[in-house]
Amino acid sequence: MKAKKRSGRMAFILCLAVAPIFFIPILMMILGSFKTQGEALRMDLSLPEKFMLDNYRHVIETGNILRGYKNSLIITVAAVALVIVLGSMAGIVISRRNDKKVNGVYYYFIFGLTATMQLVTTYFLLLKLHMLESYLGVIMVFTAINLPFAVMTFASFVTGIPREIDEAAIIDGCSTLQMFFKVLIPIMKPAVITNLIIAAISVWNNFQVPLYLMSSSSRTTIPMMVYNFYGLYARDWQYVFAAIMFTILPIVVLYLCLQKYIVEGMTAGAVKG
Amino acid sequence: MKNKVKEKIYPGWMCVPALGIYTLFYIVPIAAAFFFSFTDWNMDRMNAPKFAGLRNFINLFGDEVFLRSAGNTMLFAVMTTVLKLAVGLALALLVVQKFKGNGFFRTLFYLPCVLSCMIIGLLFTGILKMDGLLNNALRAVGMESMICDWLGKYGTAMFWIIFIEVWMWAGFNMFLFISGLQSIPAELYESAQMDGASAWERFVKITLPMLAPSFTVVTTLNITGGLKVFDLVYALTGGGPGFDTQVLSTYAYRAFGLGLLGKSSASSMVLSVGVVAVTFAMNRFLRSKEVEA
Repeated sequence: MKAKKRSGRMAFILCLAVAPIFFIPILMMILGSFKTQGEALRMDLSLPEKFMLDNYRHVIETGNILRGYKNSLIITVAAVALVIVLGSMAGIVISRRNDKKVNGVYYYFIFGLTATMQLVTTYFLLLKLHMLESYLGVIMVFTAINLPFAVMTFASFVTGIPREIDEAAIIDGCSTLQMFFKVLIPIMKPAVITNLIIAAISVWNNFQVPLYLMSSSSRTTIPMMVYNFYGLYARDWQYVFAAIMFTILPIVVLYLCLQKYIVEGMTAGAVKG
Repeated sequence: MKNKVKEKIYPGWMCVPALGIYTLFYIVPIAAAFFFSFTDWNMDRMNAPKFAGLRNFINLFGDEVFLRSAGNTMLFAVMTTVLKLAVGLALALLVVQKFKGNGFFRTLFYLPCVLSCMIIGLLFTGILKMDGLLNNALRAVGMESMICDWLGKYGTAMFWIIFIEVWMWAGFNMFLFISGLQSIPAELYESAQMDGASAWERFVKITLPMLAPSFTVVTTLNITGGLKVFDLVYALTGGGPGFDTQVLSTYAYRAFGLGLLGKSSASSMVLSVGVVAVTFAMNRFLRSKEVEA
């Protein structure tokens, strides 16, 4: 017992020693976002002399941040919804039918897990389809790259659900779609949550796709907006910090509230992927 | 169940929307990139690429910047994987101990990986630039001789890019190891302790072998992720100074920006083949180790 207590104390001290590496960059940003230009340029961890809430107002007014929020929300929500609805439909059918034809389809999807996205040709595909710089084009691309994982997780989750449940629902007069979305999806909540979290975080944070496909558009997402903002205000770090604060705040709040789900979801995703 | 009934309850058309989007927006670009990487496709002749055989690939492997990018990519992938494993495991071993506040530390260590790489790149630019936080701190403690332009030299720039990637993903790896550690039965440790095994012996003889499945997952994941690195390099150095810290993804992006589409496709084809090869090789190698253990 004593040894356990001692090792606990040791661990605490070591954690305390490592912690600054993790919070100093974040602290610097929070403090910096409230400073005047001169103070912010000095780049230290001192408290601002007076809290400049104006920085945030300036960023909202000039940085298109709200616009970026709207764009990111539209793109993320649409892509994640498509991934879950279409991915679960395909996953369920593949796993339930389990014949030669659908197994081929399954491996076709699995190929996508190890493949690397080809952005140059994607750019020209969207160009030909007149979808460049549009919501629809980017939503489709994000949906496509997240589908393999969704199909795999849903297909493997359904195998654990007895077929009798499907049959009972059909005998009770459910149509196939009703059976899918009213009976099976509620049972598959863990798989839905995993996919929701992984897809949402990866779409929200993605920079490479908007860089190739909508870099200067007013429809672009928030990381791209902040990057463009940084290009214009590289000497005004107080604004850059405030802009960054805006972009990470929703994610951090979500993370703190849903930490258990996020960690479990991302871990499960990694282990299966 | 008969097949006819099965086909009725689980109609094939339900796969079609997913298949369609996946094929058109993911597979078609991959197939096209494969095809165009054998042509002289470029911005000026966008609609009439000519077959060029292996010329793109031969040119790539004769291009010093490309070889440098490939080297950097490998260095980055290997170094970050090793460090993420070591740091992730160390953090996991710390926070599985029982002490007040370990929940807080878990939350803190995990936090960076839910943030956008691009944003983290910008944040660290503020720390590492000439008049950034790090140099100011060094000046404050009188270590002025250490002050330098951290992102302006190959060695230090590469070091910091690797450091930041590890900083981001250490907490994520920590959680992968925590679930591995928790699945090791406590009796193993108890009986080893009774036999008089030291803490180090218990770690080497019990913890490490029992973690073998976690190592497989974590290593494969980190290596393939590392090979695809883009955002961090783009945000921190843009591949500079010169082309020193260029990696394959930023190389492909640069070729795209210059309108050399065939070349860009070829270089990103090289990257994808590398990723697939590494995934298979790692899985085979590590799985065989697991069986032995």
